Amino acid sequence: MLIKTRESNNVVIFDIEGEIRRSESMQTTLHNLVKSHLDRGTRNVLLNLEGVEFIDSFGVGEILASYISTQNLGGKLKLCRISKKLLLIFQITMLTKVLDIQEDCEGALESFDKA
Amino acid sequence: MANGRLEKLLNRFADVRGHEAHAALYLSGFFFLITFSFYIVKPVKESFLIGLVNPAWWPYADLATALLIGFVVALNARLLNRLPRRTYISVSILFFIGCLLVFWYAFDVYLKSLVSTPVADSSGGIFFVWLPLTIMRAWPVPVFVFCFWSDVFIAMSVTQFWIAVNDVFDPYQGKRLVGLFVTGGLFGGIAGSSLAALMVFAKLISAGNLLLVCPVILALALVMVNRVYAEQKQLRGAAEAEVNPVQAGARVGYLESFLSVKRSRYLRLLAATLASAMVVGSLINFQFKFAVRRIFTAADDRTLFLAMFFLAILVVSTIFHLATTRRVLRTFGIRWALLVAPALLLVGSLAVFLVSAGALLAWASLIRGGDKLFDNTLSQSVRELLYIPVPADIKYKAKIFIDMFVNKFATGLGAGLYLVLYWLSGFAYKDDVAKVREIGILVVVFLCLWIALTRAVYAEYPAVLKKDIRRRWDEGDKIVSANVDVDLTRDVFDALQSRERSTTLYLMNVFDLVRKNNLTPELKEVLGIKQDELRARSMDSLFDVGGEVLFQSLDEAIVDKDFASEIDLIFLLPSYQEVMEKRLAEDAGSASEVDRIDAAKLIGLMVRSPETLRYLERFLQDPSPEVVTYALRSAAVHRRAEHVPLILLQLGNPLTALEAQGTLTDYGPGIEEELKSALGDESEALEVRRSIPVVLARFGTQRSADILLDELARRREDVEPELIDALYKIRADRPEVRFRDKKVRPEILFLIGKGYAIVLDAPGRAPGGAPAGLTSEAKAALDIKVKRVFDLMTLLHPPEDIVKACQNILQGTRKSVDYSLSLLDDLLDYELKALLFPLIEDLPPEERALRMKKAMRLK
Repeated sequence: MLIKTRESNNVVIFDIEGEIRRSESMQTTLHNLVKSHLDRGTRNVLLNLEGVEFIDSFGVGEILASYISTQNLGGKLKLCRISKKLLLIFQITMLTKVLDIQEDCEGALESFDKA
Repeated sequence: MANGRLEKLLNRFADVRGHEAHAALYLSGFFFLITFSFYIVKPVKESFLIGLVNPAWWPYADLATALLIGFVVALNARLLNRLPRRTYISVSILFFIGCLLVFWYAFDVYLKSLVSTPVADSSGGIFFVWLPLTIMRAWPVPVFVFCFWSDVFIAMSVTQFWIAVNDVFDPYQGKRLVGLFVTGGLFGGIAGSSLAALMVFAKLISAGNLLLVCPVILALALVMVNRVYAEQKQLRGAAEAEVNPVQAGARVGYLESFLSVKRSRYLRLLAATLASAMVVGSLINFQFKFAVRRIFTAADDRTLFLAMFFLAILVVSTIFHLATTRRVLRTFGIRWALLVAPALLLVGSLAVFLVSAGALLAWASLIRGGDKLFDNTLSQSVRELLYIPVPADIKYKAKIFIDMFVNKFATGLGAGLYLVLYWLSGFAYKDDVAKVREIGILVVVFLCLWIALTRAVYAEYPAVLKKDIRRRWDEGDKIVSANVDVDLTRDVFDALQSRERSTTLYLMNVFDLVRKNNLTPELKEVLGIKQDELRARSMDSLFDVGGEVLFQSLDEAIVDKDFASEIDLIFLLPSYQEVMEKRLAEDAGSASEVDRIDAAKLIGLMVRSPETLRYLERFLQDPSPEVVTYALRSAAVHRRAEHVPLILLQLGNPLTALEAQGTLTDYGPGIEEELKSALGDESEALEVRRSIPVVLARFGTQRSADILLDELARRREDVEPELIDALYKIRADRPEVRFRDKKVRPEILFLIGKGYAIVLDAPGRAPGGAPAGLTSEAKAALDIKVKRVFDLMTLLHPPEDIVKACQNILQGTRKSVDYSLSLLDDLLDYELKALLFPLIEDLPPEERALRMKKAMRLK
C-alpha cells in the first residue's frame, strides 16, 4: 500500500494505492498517519480510494479508527472514488451510514466547505 | 481614548476587554446619568409627599402605582414591539424630558400661586389662565401624578438600560461587565443626591426648580445611548445592528408580556423571587418609618436625617459594590451570591425581637440600609445575570412585565399587607416598638419565602443556560456502534478475502456468519454463494460423517434451523477431535501461510485440549500477521491465562494490535492485574502500553478506572492521551464508576499547567517582551491539551455539560463560547476556574500571559 498526502483548502487528502490489508508491509498505518495530521491541527480528511484494489477487515478497521479519531476532535473524514463493488459491501455492512462516501473527490472537497 | 488605556482604566471596576471598552463606558455613562436624574427627582417627590399628603395615606401612593403600572407596561411593550430599539429608547427619554418640564411648570404655578388675569378675546390667553387655575383646583393630585410618574421613570429607564446591555453584550460579557454598570449607577446616585442636597442647602435653587436640571442630564443620556447603538452598527454592520423591534412576528402586548412569564417556570420563579424581595423591602420601609418617626418629631430634623441616610446608603453601597460584588460573583458564582441578601436580612430581621427600644432606630437604619445596599449592588447584579440565559425575544417581554409590573405590584402588596396588619392588629393603640416587631413577623415570613424561591430559581438556571449550548458533534465510536455491526463487518470482509485464498477458510467464515444469523440475501449475493461453489469439496474432510456429504447446497442448508447446532455437535465428536489434531500437526509445520491460517481458525472451533492449546500458542507467535489474527480470535474463545503474555506482545504490532485488544477484552476483567503490570512496566514496548488503556476502558470496572488513574498520576507523557481517552470512555459508558476529586484534580491542574507552558513558551517572544500569538502548530497542541483537560473534568462534573462546553469552546461561535464559559462559571469551583479560564478565554496574547502568571501564583 502506498499513501501520498496532499492538501487542498484545509483538507488533507490521502491518495491510497494498492491494497489496505494486514499482510501488506507498511511503515506506518493509515490510522497513525491520520492521527499525526490531527495532532497538527488538521480537521478535514479525505481518503481517495481510487487506486485501492482490495480492503480486508484490517483495512476497514483502519478506516473506522481514522473516522473515530477525526470525529472525536470535531473533524470530518470522507471517502471518494471507491469502487462499485466495495461500495456495495460498504452498503450491506452499513458502513455507508457512518462514512460519507462521495463519487468524486472534487465534490467531496466542496462538501467540506458546505459543512 | 485609545482602547488599551481605556481598558486599563475600566479594569479597575470590572473585567473589561479592549474591544468592548467603548460600549461599556458609554453604557455605564448612560446608567450614571439615569440614576443621577432619579436621585434629583427622588428628594423632590419625597419632599412634596411628606409635606402635602397625610401620612395615613402614604401606602395608598404605592397601591396606586401598583394598580396603574400595568397600563404603562402595556404601552411600553407596544412601543418596544413597534419601534427599532434605538428609536424606542430615544423617544422614551424625550418623553421623560417633556414630562419633567410639565411637572416643573405645575409645581412652579402652585408654589408661586401664579394666577394670570383672563383675557376675554384671546383663545391662547384663555388657555394660560385656565391651566394654572386647573392646577390649583386639582392640587394635590399633581403630587400623586408626579409620584406615579417618577416610579414609571425609574422603572422604564432601568429596564431600557438593561435591554441596551443585552443588545450590545452577550451573556459572558454581561457577567464580567455588570460590576462596571452597577458602579456607574451608584456614582450617578451619589452625584444626583449630593447635587440636590448641596443646591437646596446652599439655597442656590428651590426644590421645584431642581426638576429643570434633569432634562439637561437626560439629554446627555440620550447622546450616550445613541453613541452605543451607532458604534454597534459600525462594528456589526447595519443588518445585524438594527436591533430588533422584538423578533418579527412576535407581537408584544401587555397580555403577551404576562403570558411569556406565565409560560415559563423559570420566569415565574424569577418573578416570584423579585416579588418576595420587594414585599420584604416595602415592609422594612414601614418599620424604618416608624423608627424614624419615634425619634425625630420635627420635620427639619427628620428631613435632614433622611437625606443623610440615603446619601450614606449610596456611598456605602458604592464601597461595598467595588469591594465585594465582583469578588463574590467570581468566587462563589451566582448560586451563593443569590443567597447573601435574604440570608443576612433574615438574621438582621430576627434581631428585632431582641433589640431594646432605645436601639430601635439604629437597628432599623441597619436593616433598611442593608436592604437598600444589597438591592443597589449584589442583588441587582445577580438579578440581571439571571435574565441572561433567557432567549432574547422572551427576555424583552418578560423583563418589562417583571421589572415594571411585578416590581411595583409587589411594593403595593407590601403596602396592602401593612394596611391589613394595621387594621387587624389595632396599630392605632400600640406603641411604635410593638408595631415594628409585628411587621417583623411578616418580614421573616417573606424572607423565608425569598430564600426558598432563590434556591428554586438557581435549580432551574443551569438548565435554562444549557438550552443555548448544543453538542457540535457526537463521539465517533458511539456513531459507529449505533450504526455498524463491527463484528459482522469484520466477518464479511474476512469471508470475502478468504474466498480467494482457501475454500476451507471461506466456508468456516461463512459458517461464522450463518451461526450469527447474519447471512442476509444481499450478503449472499455479494459473497457469491452459489450452489456449485458451496459443494463442500475441501470441507469433506471436516464435515463428512460416515461417508455422507453433509451439504449438497449451503443455500439449502442455511435455511435449516438446526444447521448450526448440527455443526456444533460435529465439533464435539471425539473422532473429529482426533482427526483434526492430526490435521493441526500437519498444518502447524506447513510452510503455507494459508494452511496455518486454516489451522489457527480451526482451533477456535475445536474443543480445548492440551494439544490444541499448544498449537494455539505456536500460532500466536507466527511471523504472519494473518495467522496471528486468526490465532487471536481462537485465543478469545479458549481464554487461557498462559496465552496472555503472547497476546500482550501482539499489542505492539500495529497489524495485530486491534485484534489483540479485542481478544484481551474477551478475557474479561480477570486479567486486570496483568494489564496493570504491563502498563506500568517501562521496559515494555510503548505501543503495548499505549494499547492497554483501551482494553481497561472496555472492562469499565472500578478497578480498571483506578489502574488508569494511578498510571496517570505517574505523569508519563507517552501514554497520557490513551489513559485520558480510556478514563473518559469509562465515565461516558459507566456512570456508576466513581472518581475521587483528590485523585483527579491534581491531574487536571497538571494538564492545565502544561497548557500554560504551550502558551508561555510560544516561539517569537523576545526575552522579557510581550508574547506573540500562537503558531498554528502550537494552537493545535493547545487545543488537544484543552480537550484532555475537559475529558478529565468529565470525571468530576456532569459529562454532557463538560463535553458541550468543550466542543463549543474549541469550535463554537462567539455566542456559544460565551454561553459555555457561563456554564463552566457555574459548574466549576473557584480554583479550577481561576486556572482554566486564562487557557480557554479568547484573550490577547499579552493579557493571556499576564492572567496565566497570576493564576500560577494562586496555584
